[in-house]
Amino acid sequence: MNNFSREKFKTGEEYSRALFFLSPFIFLFSISLFQVFNLTLFQGDKYQTIAESNRIYQKPINPVRGFIYDRKGTLLAENIVQRDLYVTPVYIEDSSKTILMLSNLLDMPYELLEENYSRGLKKVKKFDSFPLVKALNEEQIAKAKVNLDSISGIEVKATLKRYVLHEETLAHVLGYVGDISSNEIRRDRLLAELQNTQIGKTGIEKEFDYILRGKPGIQTQERDVKGKLVRVLDTQGAEDGKDIYLTIDQKLQDYLFKLFENRRGALVAIEPKTGLIRALISSPSFNPNILNSIVDTDKVESLFSNKESPIFNRAVSGQYPPASTLKPFVGLAAIENEVISWDEKIKDDGEFYVEGDPRPYRGWKENGHGRVDMRKAIAESSDVYFYTIAFDLTLAGIRPMLDSFGFGKKTGLTDFEANGLLPDKKWKLGYKGDFWFKGDTINLGIGQGYILATPLQLAMAYSGLANRGVIYEPQFIQPADEKSFKPKKVAEIQLSDTKDWEKMEQALVDVISARNGTAHKVFDVNSAVIAGKTGTAQIKSILPGKEYDAIRENPALRDHALFVGYGPVEDPKLVVAVVIENGESGSEVAAPIVKSAINFYTRGFDAK
Amino acid sequence: MQNKPLSFSVDIRLNKRKNLLNFDFSIVFTVFLLGLFGLAMIYSASGSYTLVLRQAMYFFLGAILMITAAMSNFRKMEPIYLNAVWIGFFFLVLVLVLPNSGTTNRWINLGFIGFQPSELMRFLLPISAAAYLTRNPQIKLSDWIIVLVTTLVAFILVFLQPDFGTSAIVLLSGIMPIILSGLPWRFIIYSFLGGIGTLPFLWMSLMDYQKERIYTFVSPEADALGSGWNIAQSKIAIGSGQFFGKGYMEGSQSQLDFIPESHTDFIFAVIVEEFGFLGALGLFLLYAFLINRLLYVAKSSNSKFAKLVSATLSIILAAYITLNISMVVGIFPVVGMPLPFISQGGTALVVNMITIGIILSLRRTT
Repeated sequence: MNNFSREKFKTGEEYSRALFFLSPFIFLFSISLFQVFNLTLFQGDKYQTIAESNRIYQKPINPVRGFIYDRKGTLLAENIVQRDLYVTPVYIEDSSKTILMLSNLLDMPYELLEENYSRGLKKVKKFDSFPLVKALNEEQIAKAKVNLDSISGIEVKATLKRYVLHEETLAHVLGYVGDISSNEIRRDRLLAELQNTQIGKTGIEKEFDYILRGKPGIQTQERDVKGKLVRVLDTQGAEDGKDIYLTIDQKLQDYLFKLFENRRGALVAIEPKTGLIRALISSPSFNPNILNSIVDTDKVESLFSNKESPIFNRAVSGQYPPASTLKPFVGLAAIENEVISWDEKIKDDGEFYVEGDPRPYRGWKENGHGRVDMRKAIAESSDVYFYTIAFDLTLAGIRPMLDSFGFGKKTGLTDFEANGLLPDKKWKLGYKGDFWFKGDTINLGIGQGYILATPLQLAMAYSGLANRGVIYEPQFIQPADEKSFKPKKVAEIQLSDTKDWEKMEQALVDVISARNGTAHKVFDVNSAVIAGKTGTAQIKSILPGKEYDAIRENPALRDHALFVGYGPVEDPKLVVAVVIENGESGSEVAAPIVKSAINFYTRGFDAK
Repeated sequence: MQNKPLSFSVDIRLNKRKNLLNFDFSIVFTVFLLGLFGLAMIYSASGSYTLVLRQAMYFFLGAILMITAAMSNFRKMEPIYLNAVWIGFFFLVLVLVLPNSGTTNRWINLGFIGFQPSELMRFLLPISAAAYLTRNPQIKLSDWIIVLVTTLVAFILVFLQPDFGTSAIVLLSGIMPIILSGLPWRFIIYSFLGGIGTLPFLWMSLMDYQKERIYTFVSPEADALGSGWNIAQSKIAIGSGQFFGKGYMEGSQSQLDFIPESHTDFIFAVIVEEFGFLGALGLFLLYAFLINRLLYVAKSSNSKFAKLVSATLSIILAAYITLNISMVVGIFPVVGMPLPFISQGGTALVVNMITIGIILSLRRTT
């Protein structure tokens, strides 16, 4: 009975109170019903007329996308007007008749228009419109203006499309734009109000989209029954996107792009003292305008299915074995760890053996370089010398130096960068399922084996050599005033003897200037003095008994050619990394481009 | 410990298996009818299969939870209800602390789904309040005060998001159990007068867009293209529907996107445009029938707890229906409030269906 007394307490009044407090809602509910009755039955005719005739639209006004300029104010990307022919199926009485009329007027095949029409019809909601013909030409626009104005359901709409002036030259730096996808809206709610505008998909267009895109406005329009504009009632202007000035030197970029002659490869040119990117090339390239305004879908498809992958940005995402270009860093590690001194010589007779292993590690020169010290080993690129010091250094001795120069780490320049690969024991066990062998360390000594670097990482590492250990953050945005610009340091490498920097530089100068240097072919008394290093990256290991000549028959297996260098050495202005895929010889194909880049940049012309 | 005798005695009655499905099927049927009609209307208003599929997923989840709640022995878990409100507070604080994406802080994102803690609170608060007020045979003044303070804290937390409409509902959901449980009338009148006294302060703390909505309501013509636009377009849609409506998917106002938020708050306008006065009348009758059946529990139950919970939840539901419709037809200021069982929005749908399930179980177990 305990619960009974508790439960029965003062019962009865709850229900009447509930009804009392429900009464205002019942009242409002009844009034609402009466209002619906009033609107639909007493005023129904009036509202019916309004709904049919006085059609007021609120149409978003798209902001104008900001322009992109180079460091000197040369226009790189702008917007152009594209006129598309839109149809609204619900207002078209006889579609086949209309299509026939359009095909005659615009001088286009009937079948094509009909196909576009039926394809568009499936995609849109009942009252929506869709583009039937994209990018009308001048003649079509003129004819459409005269003849189509009075026809309902047809409208020529003008939209702004991104237009890149230097087409292929800057494609990978600028990237391209495209329509906003529903996935992108889910990630960034702000994009929802920007519908029907383009946003950046890759490159600068994407990374700085938030600056370039602007904010949309709203226009209130009155339209008649057939959807034709009667008048504009109100306009709230859009806030246009802001312009961007890039660190790119368009003249340098143009000049260097031509030197690539469409060979597969990449180039990165940075000012070592500021980290400002002056040129960045990935070849073969593509015309971003094909993607900025998609008119021809076949062209787009062939771009993406092209085996040469023109859209892929080799300069920041391409990962290559650094090969001999890694030697200066291995050399510094050896000096720093006192594995060897500058004067100590090693006998290079073309082969290196590890005790208890009959397999030879071969140098690139069959009979070797004789007795070499560090300076000569760099200049002539002696493999046996670096096999020896790498073996003595061990992985633990090499890795910290490479790590401090940024190998295996993103530089932070763009979101599209690859990591590169600086292998260690854990990595090998995890990814290859095998232990780290001495042979792996020996290969690492000449930049082969597992290590991979992007051209950007190579340029950054060499800027560290040019700056005596300091590496600045790379960037694409031109500072307002270069002289007062304070770049951000990302690394500061200390050597126990600062003279080691000069000594290494001297060895790198020898690569070109000394008679025995691997890149002496490009030596030129009129040129700025350049410090640099050649590299020839094997992409297929030569098995015993097989010669390189057999491999080279397949062009896709030929060695990659590399050269990384900076100059003029008195006051380094530019560091340049060049990779030519399957180019075979760094000194023949890559070094001339680096030399031209430095001379063109510092003197405005190329010394021949 | 004092709950023991109650739980025990109720247990014996409820363990009869055949009782499990003995609930009011006319209510379940009405809710299903409304929900399915809602899915069809969301498709018409948005034209998006994705939205409909998401909503259908919530509807399915809600149906399972509703039936489960209806079959459960609701009163057996009274100690749990006493503390349920803390879950609500946890999420309300969390939503304010977490970084937000826009100007308002209403959502908690769990990766693939998000939910609104305020919707949860307006359902947990009255249950906890009712459990607290009926835990002893005699209600003391301090009990009412504690419930009132709890309610005000919840109200302020939702108000801060800011969400004016839902905060008013949360306030109502906490105050109703106090009033219904027998608070003397003079207190009710004093508090009412006191509440009017705080109105100026409330006005000052409103966001600009909220004030604008009230201005708009007072004189819609003043800003016919700005915030009066929504109401004007909504009225055109309703009026042009006339007696029979323009037909499903044929409403030009909604199909041409004249109606803002047409698949959420303004979905009633789409319904009347496409199904006319007849459709509106049908919907009104369905809602009236539903509320009437739900209130029957409050009338017939002999448990005070059941009376408080079912009456409060029914009033909240009625408030949502009425305020949404009167806003859409233009006789009430625009407050963001969904139309129960029909508007697109997962949290509201699931919470409303659990509410129905709980009332069903209260009815069955009395």
